[in-house]
Amino acid sequence: MASNSAALASFVESTPPGELQDVTKAIKSILADDPSVLQSLEPAFEKYNEEQFTTVKLPGGSEEVIVSSHNSLGGGRYYDVANQSSFAFDHATQKASSVQSHVLESPQSDLVKSLLKSLYQHTLEHYPKSSLGVYPIENDSAIAVVTVANKYSPNNFWNGRWRSHYIISPSNSTLTGLLRVDVHYYEDGNVRLQTSKPVSVTLSSTSATEISRQIALAEKKYQEDLNRAFGSLSEGAFKALRRQLPITRQKLEWEKISGYRLGQDIGGGRSR
Amino acid sequence: MASADPLDSALDLLRRLNPKDVKQNVDYLCQLAPSLTEELLESVDIPLAVKQCLKTKRDFLCCDYNRDGDSWRSPWSNEFQPPLDDGEGIAPSDRIRKMEVKANEAFDVYRELYFEGGISSVYLWDMDDGFAGCVLLKKAVSPSPKSNGSWDSIHVFDAQDRARTAHYKLTSTVILSLGNEAENLGTMDLSGNMVRQVEQDMAVEDDGSHVANIGKACGPIRETRFMVEDMELKMRNLLQEVYFGKAKDVVGDLRSIPPLSETNRDRATQREMINSMAR
Repeated sequence: MASNSAALASFVESTPPGELQDVTKAIKSILADDPSVLQSLEPAFEKYNEEQFTTVKLPGGSEEVIVSSHNSLGGGRYYDVANQSSFAFDHATQKASSVQSHVLESPQSDLVKSLLKSLYQHTLEHYPKSSLGVYPIENDSAIAVVTVANKYSPNNFWNGRWRSHYIISPSNSTLTGLLRVDVHYYEDGNVRLQTSKPVSVTLSSTSATEISRQIALAEKKYQEDLNRAFGSLSEGAFKALRRQLPITRQKLEWEKISGYRLGQDIGGGRSR
Repeated sequence: MASADPLDSALDLLRRLNPKDVKQNVDYLCQLAPSLTEELLESVDIPLAVKQCLKTKRDFLCCDYNRDGDSWRSPWSNEFQPPLDDGEGIAPSDRIRKMEVKANEAFDVYRELYFEGGISSVYLWDMDDGFAGCVLLKKAVSPSPKSNGSWDSIHVFDAQDRARTAHYKLTSTVILSLGNEAENLGTMDLSGNMVRQVEQDMAVEDDGSHVANIGKACGPIRETRFMVEDMELKMRNLLQEVYFGKAKDVVGDLRSIPPLSETNRDRATQREMINSMAR
């Protein structure tokens, strides 16, 4: 049997977009506010926020910036290139504080900045609301690009998140990435859409323009494929599970139920 | 402020966490808060397990309502599997069992006509002022090696006898899981459950118009059959709307395929046109 903290960590890990505070509140109530257990959840909160690219408004700022493993400075601090600042992040409450100036110093600075500029245009065109981060990683040998778009509508019982995550390796001209969508609908039920699509492209050049173009292409194609997949699930598996009406196109005549059996062997467990 | 009731919090949590893991999450919750175990097992629907009836070789479905310890009662033979050490186990009275046999025959036809396959089971039990029962239906498909789906219906109802009417209450849960995998798509999982409840009063037909025992035996359950059929139709439409309408719309709300500057320009043009026509 898994330990209690492993059970709680798995709850945190499967938390839907925008609902971490609700999940934490429920866990507290179930455990009668045992503070030691919540403390043991700290690593799970950190992992959740970094993997989900949690966004946070800096004190005094207007735009939301990203929390991820790529812009971690250690000790619970993260930095943002566009704002030229670093901040402390509380993983349990998802709030930022202690903003300091932070200027990026990296041999990749120029590429990072031009990517921020061209990808920002791309996000404006395709995401009604999103946050973007570009960070040099792996000792400046690669660049990470993170885009996250959230839309929360708890009053209507749904929340959604789109995450795009790319690693660019200039030395071998590759762009690899993962596109993920997570949607939660919970009015009179609990329905979850989770998707994951790997991307792998060989770049003809490592200019910001070419990288942005490839990212735009990959995302457009994926969204079109995903839209089609809704249709094929609806027409395929869903229809094959249960008919809307019997083949006679009318509801059952229960009084004649024995008549349906005539000439038919209807055995339990039989499938076509 | 007083803390929320732990059971309500556990149910709230289950409404938020991935519905695919509901069984695992219920186990975890029972481990974390053992005092909630009984209520959680009673009130949370998990995908139905399948067993084969040793006597009739037909498959049947397992839930809390046909369980006695670690054994389940087959609706086809009325026997527990594996057999209970201490004899009989909890089974319905003769009158209710007769109704149960009829109901299983009827829903077996229903299953074939609507699901064209799958498994059905109906369990009834006696109540002080009437009877209660559940209708279970389950089907799984894999139209292609990379695509699969499963449907579990759990309809729990009770009927309270009153003078000339009976009061019926039906709570229905459908657990629907769909998965898709392809080179261009990656993986896509669309899973969950939805719950609906209805209550209604209906006149009980005069048992005298029916032939002796059989009429008496299947009379009271007649209304619940219509209720289940109506409910499943409504729920199928609802699931279709939420899974393929709402979920897809939210994706479109997160990201727009056409550039937003174009969309906004089109909208502005449209507004202008409407305004000019209104002038």
